[in-house]
Amino acid sequence: MGFLRPHRRALWGSLVFAWAAMGMTVLIPWLVGRTVDAIERQDEGALLPLAGAIIAAATLRVGLTVVRRVVAGKVSLAVEFDLRERFYRHLQAQELGFFDGQQTGQLMSRATVDLQSIRFFLGYGLIFITQNLLTVTLATAVMLAMQPELALLALAPAPIVVFAAARYNRASRPALQEVQQRIAELTAEAEENVSGIRIVKAFAREEHQLHRFQRAVARVFDQSIYTTRLSAIFQPLIGFLPQLGTALVLLVGGRQVIDGNLSLGDFTAFYTYLVILAGPLRMLGVALGMGQRAIASGNRLFEILDREPRITSPPRAAPLPPGPGQVEMRGVSLRYETSPATVDGAGDGSVMPEIRENAPALEDIDLDVAGGSTVALVGPSGSGKTSLVALVARLYDPSEGEVLVDGIDVQGVELGSLRSEIAFVADDSFLFSASVAENIAYARPGATRDEVVRAARRTQADGFIGDLPGGYDTVVGERGLTLSGGQRQRVAIARALLADPRILILDDATSSVDATTERAIRDGLEEVMTGRTTFVIAHRLSTVSLADEVIVLDGGRIVDRGTHEELLGRCGFYAEIAEHGLADSVFLQRDLEQREEMARL
Amino acid sequence: MRRSEEPSANGRSNGDDPEIIRAEEELEEEEAAYSPERNRLQEVFLLFAALWRLLRGEDDRGRKVRWMFGLLRPYRGRVAVTAVALVIGTAAGLAPPYLAGKAIDSGIQTKDVAALNLVVAAFVGAAIVYAVATLVQTYTVGWVGTRALQDLRERVFAHIQAMSIGFFTRRSPGVLISRMTNDIEALNQLVSDGVVTLFSATMTLIGVVVILLILNPTLALVTFVTFPLLAIASVIFRIVSTGAYRATRERIAAITAYLQETLSGVRVVRSFGQERRHNDRMTELNDANREANLRTVYLNAAYFPAVELLSAVGTAVILLYGGYEVVNGSLEVGIVVAFVGYLATFFDPIQQLSQLYTTYQQGMAALDKIFDLLDTEPDMTDAPGAVDPGPLRGEISMEGICFSYADDALERQEEGEAVDWALRDVDLHVPAGQTLALVGATGAGKSTFAKLVSRFYDPQRGRVEIDGHNLRGVQQRALRRQLGIVPQEGFLFSGTVRENIAFGRPEATPEEIESAVAAVGATDFISMLPDGFETEVGERGIQLSAGQRQLVAFARALLAEPRILILDEATSNVDVRTEKVIERGLERLLAGRTAIVIAHRLSTIRRAGKIVVLEDGEIAESGTHDELIEAGGAYARLYGAWAESAAA
Repeated sequence: MGFLRPHRRALWGSLVFAWAAMGMTVLIPWLVGRTVDAIERQDEGALLPLAGAIIAAATLRVGLTVVRRVVAGKVSLAVEFDLRERFYRHLQAQELGFFDGQQTGQLMSRATVDLQSIRFFLGYGLIFITQNLLTVTLATAVMLAMQPELALLALAPAPIVVFAAARYNRASRPALQEVQQRIAELTAEAEENVSGIRIVKAFAREEHQLHRFQRAVARVFDQSIYTTRLSAIFQPLIGFLPQLGTALVLLVGGRQVIDGNLSLGDFTAFYTYLVILAGPLRMLGVALGMGQRAIASGNRLFEILDREPRITSPPRAAPLPPGPGQVEMRGVSLRYETSPATVDGAGDGSVMPEIRENAPALEDIDLDVAGGSTVALVGPSGSGKTSLVALVARLYDPSEGEVLVDGIDVQGVELGSLRSEIAFVADDSFLFSASVAENIAYARPGATRDEVVRAARRTQADGFIGDLPGGYDTVVGERGLTLSGGQRQRVAIARALLADPRILILDDATSSVDATTERAIRDGLEEVMTGRTTFVIAHRLSTVSLADEVIVLDGGRIVDRGTHEELLGRCGFYAEIAEHGLADSVFLQRDLEQREEMARL
Repeated sequence: MRRSEEPSANGRSNGDDPEIIRAEEELEEEEAAYSPERNRLQEVFLLFAALWRLLRGEDDRGRKVRWMFGLLRPYRGRVAVTAVALVIGTAAGLAPPYLAGKAIDSGIQTKDVAALNLVVAAFVGAAIVYAVATLVQTYTVGWVGTRALQDLRERVFAHIQAMSIGFFTRRSPGVLISRMTNDIEALNQLVSDGVVTLFSATMTLIGVVVILLILNPTLALVTFVTFPLLAIASVIFRIVSTGAYRATRERIAAITAYLQETLSGVRVVRSFGQERRHNDRMTELNDANREANLRTVYLNAAYFPAVELLSAVGTAVILLYGGYEVVNGSLEVGIVVAFVGYLATFFDPIQQLSQLYTTYQQGMAALDKIFDLLDTEPDMTDAPGAVDPGPLRGEISMEGICFSYADDALERQEEGEAVDWALRDVDLHVPAGQTLALVGATGAGKSTFAKLVSRFYDPQRGRVEIDGHNLRGVQQRALRRQLGIVPQEGFLFSGTVRENIAFGRPEATPEEIESAVAAVGATDFISMLPDGFETEVGERGIQLSAGQRQLVAFARALLAEPRILILDEATSNVDVRTEKVIERGLERLLAGRTAIVIAHRLSTIRRAGKIVVLEDGEIAESGTHDELIEAGGAYARLYGAWAESAAA
């Protein structure tokens, strides 16, 4: 509830307005009752003032409600704004390891669904609850004052209505969410069948897939019917109970009027109260349900908000002092905390135990890379190449040992200054939905167009960018034009170049580029690498040949290091990789990239 | 996004990018749903106008709607129950205000206790009937609607499945999926909610008007005076709010998209240390969202209390005029009370009906789209009298094959236009049991070749024969059951490893599965999985690595005991280790069956009994490795370039 504090005054204001408006709501039936009495008394003169009073009360209520709605709406929007802001900043402060263990979808639903349910509760739910409680209390008080026994009788079903409505709300929400969940499963099933249609047809398994789909459809059906049954039972029930109260008023109140214990006007007022109370009673139940959901959402949200970022700059950390870019690792081991791809199969003892706990990604690494030199990392997938370079930028902290850049432990320097000296080109070449120019200038938003173009030229990206419909202003990325893998990579390399880093990390950066383009990029790279420390993770011999030294990794350990020729001679493992893995793609994919581009343009 | 050969061979440009098509479609749907800036009453009229056109069959939606109601035919009994419950329920719902008035006039005013008891009994009775009727109607209509749409969903699925592969490359997957999901949901809304609301709200509205007119025509007309006010308020609200609501949807969508993007790109954000920038941008988006929502807050704050005010004014008018009438003796008090009661029930149906037009539009749009799909006949069904060729030996022959992904290639050629042939004048004979390696650049027609053998497409000219059967006259499924295809990306379905391996032959015994797994060298990795063969592989096999998926795909192909095996760049996405494992198993896989291998690994190609080099859809040369090197043609040049780069 802490986030309500800044809006305390507005909140109280809106409550006061809500209560005043409710006073008017309760006043109107009483006025109606007086009017009916006046009619019965044949008191023609009283009619006009009473009707005027009703309209006046209604107008006043409108004014109060308008103010209340505006104030409450503002508060709830402000709370939503604050929460989302906090949540996003908090996510941005978390270290990379946090995201490995989280599913994007889960985080997304925190930021949208959970946030909204809190907003609705704080903005409307709270006010609904107080407002409706007040209506019920005031109406009850007025009715009790008019005719106590009749009031008690008339209101007897009220608690049951609230209870039933809350119960219904509590049961139907999860049930409806389950319907959505099952529809999502069904969508996934449909999606799998559309994308895997070639496999289905190739194995002639259409019927089998249809059965699978039918099962998913049946699951949706069953759950939908369950929710239908819930609403079929509860809704008429919730509607019926107040009617029972009304019937009691008609029966008992009617007799009292006949016996002269109750005026016809009071009787009408009672009747009208019951009509207007049906809504608030039901809403009270709904709002209570809303509150329960908001608390659950709040818990989920705070699970994340309460988590302290693990990788932060130490207090009053100095920026990284200038240096040549020397990198050193002393006894470094890295063990990932959570592996996102672990299949949930706990409890089955038959499985080999060692893959349960995460095997170390890196073990006992000692390394010294001189400033300005180029090192190639070679090894099969999962051997720890990417983990090793991630440690240099302090994307992860090692479980043991220390990483030093220019002689200073990276854990002791200001994080921003460290990362601004290191540029990454990752194998997946993620681009943001922004123009090509903005993507290239990502690390240095202030870069001039000239600088951007120069960086693009160096990575052989200038040519295809010029052919794009909007040139450098073409929007690319998820919500823009889709570039080919090779094109994305060249933009990503340009992005890294423009950052003008001390340490450059090319993680499999030229894997999607064909041989000719690679050769051209290589020339540019060679020029760029001079004066920078460069780590290259490569599967191609031609890229490896750029390096002063090759480090061979296997199973998280350094197997050997030396020049390409030295290693070919003495390291059997390297020779095997070189023969098998490094030369391959060149053979038949040579003009793949060109064709791909031609087909696009 | 990975690009397959077809689109490029098809000459599709950026403008046809499925992503963009999808985005455009969504935009159109959005426009169709929200752009009409009309008011509530007008929407009610539009709704009835549209229904009138429908009844008179002026647009062919009549046919579609009749067809849609045809889906309900198996559940006729329940539909009848629903209709009866609906009528009874609506009638019972109209009774209480009248009975309350009656209680006053004939019971209380006349001091007739017996009559009062009778009226209250009727009141309770009406309430019970209403509750029961609502229960029955809610349940049956929900059941029938969901059931009928379930049938339709399965039908759409089966229909899509029957389509040829060409169909799938022409349509964006998102659109097809949405036919089976969103569009069905929209129809469900229309059938379950829409129809019921239409009837109950209309009947209630008419019922109230009629009852009021019968009770007291003058007072009824006075009551109706508030309507124009309601209409004016609604017009203004409608016009202003349409844009405001659209803005809120757009803004929140922008936030979600941005969040999604920065989450998927979190590695880049971290490594360039650009967190602050994204925080600032998020603040901007967040603020824009607040602004947009604030507008709707103002609008709602103005509109809904205004409607409440109108109902209060209505009450005052009734009391004032009715009061005078009662004093004059021309009206009874009970009638006035009944009028006040009816006024409260009057606003709901109008509100409901005005929302219905959107449901109607969306449902109809969905119906059109589903109809379009169902009207598209599957294009490559088995010819009448297609034969089951029985067990195949695996002899493949192609005669004068010309094939283009453009359906109208032949017509275009006749008109003298340029045709983009994916394969041209291909003649080839592969004896049973031989391994054929296809070599050539991307787009040369290698995969197309393999697709014609699997009869995913029919050639425009020439014939493909297997064991002397022209494929056009062969039952597709009988043919494919004897094919084993391993594509570039090992595509798995969600389920266990075992289910995936046994995909082509679900009746396989555990021993058979294990021996297939052993043959492709996948035993080790499977035993390392948390649940071994019973490990869930997740959607599209996401829980396994690319190499592991490919091993499963190999085992799947082997277990199907194919007579013809097609490996389409099957090892290009696996790492060195996995590839070595696969290569060892390959020997066993190829033994005794015809195989078409599209590979980039020289060792695999070298081993083939015949190598065919494709260039721009034509066979440039063919022969064994040694023959081709000797011939000194394209293959020799490719080999030379490779050898050179390997030595670099």
